Formats: sequence, structure tokens, C-alpha cells
Amino acid sequence: MRASAVRSVFLTRAARPAEASKRVLVLGGDSIGMNIAERFAIDGFPVLLLGYPAGTQVRDRITLAPDTVLDELQGFTGAFDAILTNSAGRSVERVGFVVAAQPEARVPKFEDYQLPSSRGIVSLSQLEDMLQSGDESLTRRGEWLHVAFLFGLSGESEPAVFSRVLSAIEHLGQGEKVQSYVFTRNLKVAADGLERRYRDCRESGAIFFKFDDAGPVFTSNSGGTLMVFREPLLGLEMELMPDLLVVDERLNPPASLKPLLETTPLAYLSAPFLQPESIRFSGVQTPKAGMFAVGPSRGVFDPAVIEDDVEAVVTALKESVAGVPDVTLPGSPVVDAAKCVMCLTCLRLCPHGAITFAKTAEVDPATCVRCGICAVECPMTAISLAPPAGDPDMISAIRQGLAATSGQGKIVAFLCSRSAAQALKSVPLRDVENLIPIVVRCAGTIAVPHVLEAFQQGAAGVIAAGCFQGNCASGYGTILAEERIALVRELLSDAGIDRDLVRFVPMAGNTPGVLGGAVRELEDRINKDIVKG
Amino acid sequence: METDAVILGGGIAGLQSAYRLSKLGMRSVIVEKAPFLGGHTARFACKATDRCRLCGACALEDVLRKTRSADSVKPFVRTAVQRVDDENGRFALTLLRKPPRIIPEKCGQCGECEKVCPVDGALARSPLNNELYIDEDKCLFFKDASCRACMEVCPDAAVNLEEEPDTLELNASAMIVATGFKPFDPELKPRFGYGLVPGVVSALEMDAMLRSDTWFPGEGDAEARSAAFIQCVGSRDPKIGRNYCSRVCCGYAVRMARLMKHRFPSLRPTMFYMDIQNFERAFDKSLEEAAEEVRLIRSIPAEVRKGEDGRPELIYHGPGDERVIESFDLVILSIGITPASPEISTDLGVTKDGFCGTDGENVTTRKRGVFVAGTVQAPRSIEETIAHAVAAAGKAASYVKEMKNGGSL
Ligand SMILES: Cc1cc2nc3c(=O)[nH]c(=O)nc-3n(C[C@H](O)[C@H](O)[C@H](O)COP(=O)(O)OP(=O)(O)OC[C@H]3O[C@@H](n4cnc5c(N)ncnc54)[C@H](O)[C@@H]3O)c2cc1C
Ligand code: SF4
Ligand code: SF4
Ligand code: SF4
Ligand code: SF4
Ligand code: SF4
Repeated sequence: MRASAVRSVFLTRAARPAEASKRVLVLGGDSIGMNIAERFAIDGFPVLLLGYPAGTQVRDRITLAPDTVLDELQGFTGAFDAILTNSAGRSVERVGFVVAAQPEARVPKFEDYQLPSSRGIVSLSQLEDMLQSGDESLTRRGEWLHVAFLFGLSGESEPAVFSRVLSAIEHLGQGEKVQSYVFTRNLKVAADGLERRYRDCRESGAIFFKFDDAGPVFTSNSGGTLMVFREPLLGLEMELMPDLLVVDERLNPPASLKPLLETTPLAYLSAPFLQPESIRFSGVQTPKAGMFAVGPSRGVFDPAVIEDDVEAVVTALKESVAGVPDVTLPGSPVVDAAKCVMCLTCLRLCPHGAITFAKTAEVDPATCVRCGICAVECPMTAISLAPPAGDPDMISAIRQGLAATSGQGKIVAFLCSRSAAQALKSVPLRDVENLIPIVVRCAGTIAVPHVLEAFQQGAAGVIAAGCFQGNCASGYGTILAEERIALVRELLSDAGIDRDLVRFVPMAGNTPGVLGGAVRELEDRINKDIVKG
Repeated sequence: METDAVILGGGIAGLQSAYRLSKLGMRSVIVEKAPFLGGHTARFACKATDRCRLCGACALEDVLRKTRSADSVKPFVRTAVQRVDDENGRFALTLLRKPPRIIPEKCGQCGECEKVCPVDGALARSPLNNELYIDEDKCLFFKDASCRACMEVCPDAAVNLEEEPDTLELNASAMIVATGFKPFDPELKPRFGYGLVPGVVSALEMDAMLRSDTWFPGEGDAEARSAAFIQCVGSRDPKIGRNYCSRVCCGYAVRMARLMKHRFPSLRPTMFYMDIQNFERAFDKSLEEAAEEVRLIRSIPAEVRKGEDGRPELIYHGPGDERVIESFDLVILSIGITPASPEISTDLGVTKDGFCGTDGENVTTRKRGVFVAGTVQAPRSIEETIAHAVAAAGKAASYVKEMKNGGSL
């Protein structure tokens, strides 16, 4: 991802236009993309739709781009440049938003089960096509038809696939003389109505075998595929030669997400999906402002949740247009052009892809979430992050906090606003009497000089607290903070000071106990050192 | 008072709806009957071990922080809807607001009141900020005025038993019902021994103990102790009218078991299940990891009874149809999500599974202008509740706009 990010630097356009574009690039493929496009059009957003079912009608405000793929996405919310290719060549389209709403990639598990695809062995999608087209081999038959479904026998499956298996059984059941069998490990019923439908299917005659082991052994001969298995409930040896063996499918995210993943370094956490797996990115939000993930592109396959996603992405766009300012947001980082040597460190490290280059590094204020990582990592200290209006900067806050006390026994705690600062609210006051809290927006803002400043001003100990790994809203702010604290501990050790007077403590907003415990431990340590020294 | 949308329930769903409405430039009022916001999630423990386990519980602290800084969101706690009138697709509500019984600005946190209160749970602390509150359903003063012990002992005169509730008239263009779910009452399945066999707890109780760090596996940590989770208690059980999967309990049980083992590595957790539901992406790997720490047995025990040594004893069918009797130190019942009536007079419809709303419609109800968000409509995880609440907020906002532009639809 880094290589391509660097590449796009040299293609960077002029500054952000005054008027943000309201046009939406929708990456679709099936009816979901189409739905989204229509919803946007109704709400007054012009749409450029890539990927749609054959026969889709042209509508007001929707431009269809036939056989076109997105090669690269540059720029920022309100002013993205989508570089597209089709048979006519490359073109650049200006859009304000990008929505990834492609259908999932369905991969039949023939190989997993070591079964060849053949007339008698089909994938679930193939069976669905047969049912749709009224395939004779399924309907007009004098004899019994035995259909065996393999569901999640190799690799755990998904409720969305189970729902399709049940639909197929329901459909087959409409003909006469059909016996369906499902060979499975774990049924996936965690979606609307599935338990009910599963029970109905069983009641109307479908037979379910649930295995704890690998399940049936398959042997193929001229007559078909023979399944030999130990029936799980009573342990009886059984065999079955179905007329049709249906293989389930793995659901993968759409393969076409690469150009979108390349817009932020956080791809390394989320790939092959567009959204890191974390509650910080709930709904359709991605790490990059103005880019949204619907359904499969964020690992969601349940049709009911996808319906919520469609609604949510429409809501998100309306929110951007409403433009209600976030009063808690500090000012955007400012780059001192005189200091910047264009080393690209900030570009490579900004988790949200907010940095671009003109004559110097520049931050896109609408994309930047103010995590502060760039400011700390810039080797030239060219980037500064202004505190919210009226608040002191970090160094002043440390000085002010310690000034009155000369630091005696005081602990300076750098608390991430997204976790530790919340936790502090529930720690009983008497447990944190000696604490001087410095709230930082992201643990990624905590730098070595801040910690050293605290000691210089007389602090007895320092706690740096950020989110648990995997829960940082900026992906790796907390990892960077941890590394920096490790460095400070080295420095202290080298200077003959107890390294344990500085700690990095991971926590969440709902773990006051972890914060309280860390303070207690550090106080004990300080007292021990005093006794020793 | 005028607002754009009134939101009933201040759990994850209500808070998220309010926050997103504020981002759309709309005002909202949250009506929460409990003394604090957050709903069930406020009592869940963070399940992080060496890393975040994706339980989603801290999303509450996140959305609380965001709504707190949004001026357009007005949350009323200890408040209930007394009456709803609906006039041409607009709503006129009468709210009944109870005053704080322990005034936070006065309370010095001395804890004297807790020492004298004769009723377990009448004086409690908010899991969010540790503030004391009185549970009026349990307190004797509100039952028969037979006790004022806390008021008498409080040195800061912070206890406020006598003040009467007041009412508030509220007009809103749209209503979002986000009143959440009712946890399954494990006493309805007596064969699992809840309330009968010592050592059997519900997952909700276990979670609260883990949050407040008050659970220890018992004496002699060196000696390995055992805990059993029983899945699907009150779910996937048509005999008691629960013909659906609650969707969250497989995930929460595995996370809880792993957290317990992380805190007390000698603990041996077992999970009795029917089918394990996915709770993470790349679920094969997650399940493999979980199986290294948690013994997984596909069998729902037939009975939990008190063994001769006083510990709970489980009787279940092991692999190969043999009957197994096994004792555990602790049994945790993974109770499901069941429908709760939103307690308002308006008829919103009932889904097949008994939840509030309309089958096949995600956020709309039978009633024009009333939308549903979160677990009031179907079982959902926190993550899914958030997605659903955003959808509800979006629809409600469009409705408000239409009402503003043209009056009735
Ligand atoms: C034991 C257990 C563990 C769980 N663990 C997890 C987990 O680890 N991860 C996960 O994602 N999900 C988990 N869940 C599911 C999670 O609890 C729900 O997704 C979440 O609480 C739903 O939020 P909600 O806002 O819809 O409802 P609730 O949390 O129920 O909130 C509803 C709110 O509405 C208020 N209210 C109700 N009626 C009224 C009324 N008439 N007037 C005013 N206010 C009212 C209530 O007081 C409450 O504050 C768990 C569930 C259970 C039972
Ligand atoms: S890290 Fe600093 S010096 Fe390097 S490009 Fe960014 S602003 Fe310039
Ligand atoms: S503060 Fe964070 S989000 Fe903003 S430009 Fe710097 S690294 Fe990127
Ligand atoms: S509360 Fe849950 S989501 Fe939040 S950090 Fe803890 S484990 Fe992760
Ligand atoms: S009045 Fe009595 S019962 Fe009620 S909270 Fe006070 S001490 Fe407890
Ligand atoms: S999530 Fe698991 S425990 Fe809960 S009802 Fe579904 S299958 Fe049972």
C-alpha cells in the first residue's frame, strides 16, 4: 500500500476546490448497488454507477458507466479523482463520495471436499440456476430424487449461505418425491427467521446430520458419488448415493476493493475488507472520510443488515451535506513549510490518508481525524496540532498541572480521549488523588518529549493509557505510543532511573478498574523507590 | 417543549439514533426510564485479553461521549412516557420525570447510606460513573414509606426522597422506539437449576461481576476450577415460544470464558452448545483459537442439579450417546434476548418472533412517523444495533423534513 501511496504523491492535483462535489461513485454489481444509486438520486446526489445488472434502465441523475473499472482513487472527500478504465481508455472523474457496494465473491468449496464439479455435483449457485430455469432433472421425475447438501463441513459457513440452502430445500420440496439431506457441522441460524425456517424444513421431511468429525467419506463410481458416514446421533454406519450433491460456497469480499484499500495505510489491518474489524468502524464507515463500505465489502453478508447499510450510507451522505460541525474537534494540523523536507513520513503513517503534497506536506482538514500521529512522527517536527480553542497545548498542560504541587508524588497520566479519559470518569476519586490527567485525542499523540517534560517538571511517575490493541480508532496509534513509551523506559534505565516509573497501560472506556489498578501499582512502585532511595 | 424526534430508550440504539440525528442537524429528546443511560451494555465487561476481543461494549462510552458534546440532544433519565397523542402524524407526549434521589452535586461519596440501607440493591451505583442512586422499585420508602434510613444518616443532605415527580409536555414530529429487550428469565427453565442450585448464575450476572471485578474463582487459585456455559437458554426453543436464535450468546460466552481464563489461567471453562454461531470474521481461525482455551461439547445438558459435594452437577449426553454426569464449580446460563413491550399505548405491530415492528420492514412500524431501532425489533449485537439505529435515524430525519415541508404526508 505504501508504494502506491507514494506514487499518487506525484500525481497530486491542485488545492481543494471551494465547492465540494456531491457526486457519488457507486461501485455496484447487483440490485443493491442499483438501490443505493436510486436512493441517492432521489435525495439529489448525482451518481456515477460502475457495475449493474444487465438491462438496468437509465434514470435521472444516474450515469451508467458500462464495462468500466476503477483503477485508482486519489484525493479526499468532496474532491476525489477516480481514475477509470474501459475499452475507450483511461478517464478521470471528479466525485465527492465513494460507496463500495459490490456483491460478495462466491467460491464453491469443491476443492475443500475434494469433489469434482460434474453433472451430479454442483455448487449452490448452480443449483439455484437450475431451480430458476426449471431444470428437468429436478422436476419431472417419476422416481424419488435424493439431494444432499454439504453445508459448512469444511470451514465454518455463514447464515446467508444457510438461508440459501433452506430456500433451495423449500423450492425442491414443492415438487413431489424429493428427499433433501443436509450434512453439516454448525448450523448458522443467527439471522432473521432462519431458526424457524430450519425447523419447518425439518418438519416437512428434510434430514439434517450434524458431525463433530470430518463427516462423510466420498467415493465416486460410475453410478455417482457414494457417501459413507457414521450417523452422529446413534453412531450407526450409513451410506447414501444422492442423485445430486450440492456443495456450499465460501463468501469472500469483492475482489475489486484494491484501489480503495490503497487510499489509507490501515489496509494492512482490514484487507481484504474495506473496514477494519473493530467497533470503532461500525456501520458503513471506513478509515477514509467520504468512502463507505456496504455489505460484503465490510464483511457483512446478512441481507437484513445490508438493508440497514443501504439506509446508513444514505444517512451518512446527508450528514456530510448537513455539515454540523464537531465542536470537540481540535484544529487541523499545520505544516511549517520552512521545516518540511518532503520526506513522506507523514504520508506513509497517516492512518486516515489525510496527507497530500503540493509544495510541502498538506493536511486535508475534512479527512484528518486529529490523531496526532503525523505530528509526533515527523522527523523535522514540522507538523503541529493545535488544541481545541481555549485549551492549553500539551506541554503547557503538563507544566500547569505540576506547577502547583512541585510534583511531589504526582503521577502524570496521558489519557486517550477515546478510552482512558472515559474510564477515568468511573474511577473513585480517592483512587486518583495523585493523578494529573492530560487528555489526548489519540494515544498516537503521546510523544517522548511530553513524557520527559513531565519528569523534568517533577512528576514522580507517568502513565500513558490508550486503547487495547485492535480497538484503536486510528488503527495503530496505541502501538506507536507503546513503542515510544518503551523508548522512554530505555532512556530512564540508561540514566539510572527506575524504568517502571513509566508505563503504557492498554484499556477501554469501560475499564476503570484497569486504570485504578495501574495508578495503585505505580504509587506502590514510587513509594518503594522512595524507601530504597 | 418542542423537538424534532423523541427517542424512547437510552441504550445503544437510542443514543446512536440521537447522535446521528444531531449530525443531520435535527434536535432530539431521549426518554430513559432508568437512572442512567446505556441500557444493558452499561453492565457489560470489556472482554479484552492481550488484545481487544471485539465485544463492542465500549461503543457505549464512545457514543455517550459524542452525544454529551452534541447540544441538540437532550437526554432525560428517570423519565417515562405517561401519555402519547398523535395528531396528523405529529406526537404530543406527557413525560413523567422523577427527581434524582441522591443529588450528585451534594453527595460526598462517603458511603454512609449504603451501610444503613436494609434492602439489597435499593441503593446502587451507576456502572458508568459510580454515582449512587436509589432503585425506587426496591426502596422501602417508595413501597410503604417505612424507611428513611439513608436520608437520616447522610451528612451532606444529599438524599432527596420526598420531592414529587414533575411532568413535562413534549411535541415531536417523529418517534424512535429504542426500548431494547428483556433478558430471558432463566427461572422459566427450571431444569437448569437457576435459583435452585447454588453456583448457577445467568450470563448477565456474570458479565456484571466481570465488569466490577468482583468475581474470583474461589479459594486456592492454584487448584484448577471449572466453569460451564450452557448455550441457548431461552432461545431456539419453540416449546417456550422462542423459535429464533438470539444471535449474540455464542459470541459473548466464548469471550467471557476467554476473559475468565485470562484473569485466572488455571480455570477450565467448558461450553455446552447446539451450533456455534459466527461472531468474528475469519471465523475458522477464531473458533480454533477459542477451542484451545475452552472445551467445546455439542450437547445441551438435560439437567443441572446440586451434587453431593454441593457443587452443581450437569447431566448430559456425551459423544456416542453415553450419559455423563460432571460437576462444575460454576454454571453460567447463556440467556437469550426476548421481546419487551415498549410500554406505550400506540400499536406498532408485532413480528413473527414477538418483537416490535413489521416483518420484512427494518425500521418502520405500523404507525406513521414511528420508527424502531435496535433490539426492540429483533435480536441484535451491539454492532448490528448501531447499524440499525443509523438506519432508523435516517428514516426519521426524512420524515421530520417532510412534515416540516408539507405538514401531513
Ligand atoms: C447476557 C448478554 C450479553 C451480551 N453481550 C453482548 C456482547 O458481548 N456483544 C454484543 O454486541 N452484544 C451483546 N449482547 C446484546 C446487547 O445487549 C444488545 O445488542 C444491546 O444492549 C442492544 O441495545 P438496545 O439499545 O437495543 O437495548 P437495551 O440495551 O435493552 O436498552 C434499552 C433502553 O431503553 C430503556 N427503556 C426500556 N423501556 C423503556 C420505556 N418504556 N421508556 C423509557 N425507556 C425505556 C431501558 O431502560 C434501556 O436503557 C448481550 C446480551 C445479553 C443478554
Ligand atoms: S513528515 Fe514532516 S518533513 Fe516529512 S513530509 Fe511530512 S511534514 Fe514534511
Ligand atoms: S492528525 Fe492523524 S489523521 Fe490528521 S493528518 Fe495527522 S496522522 Fe493523519
Ligand atoms: S469493550 Fe469490547 S470492543 Fe471495547 S476494547 Fe474491550 S473487548 Fe474491545
Ligand atoms: S430509604 Fe431505606 S430502603 Fe430506601 S434507599 Fe434509603 S435506606 Fe434503602
Ligand atoms: S447465538 Fe448461540 S447460544 Fe445464542 S441462541 Fe444462537 S445458537 Fe444459541
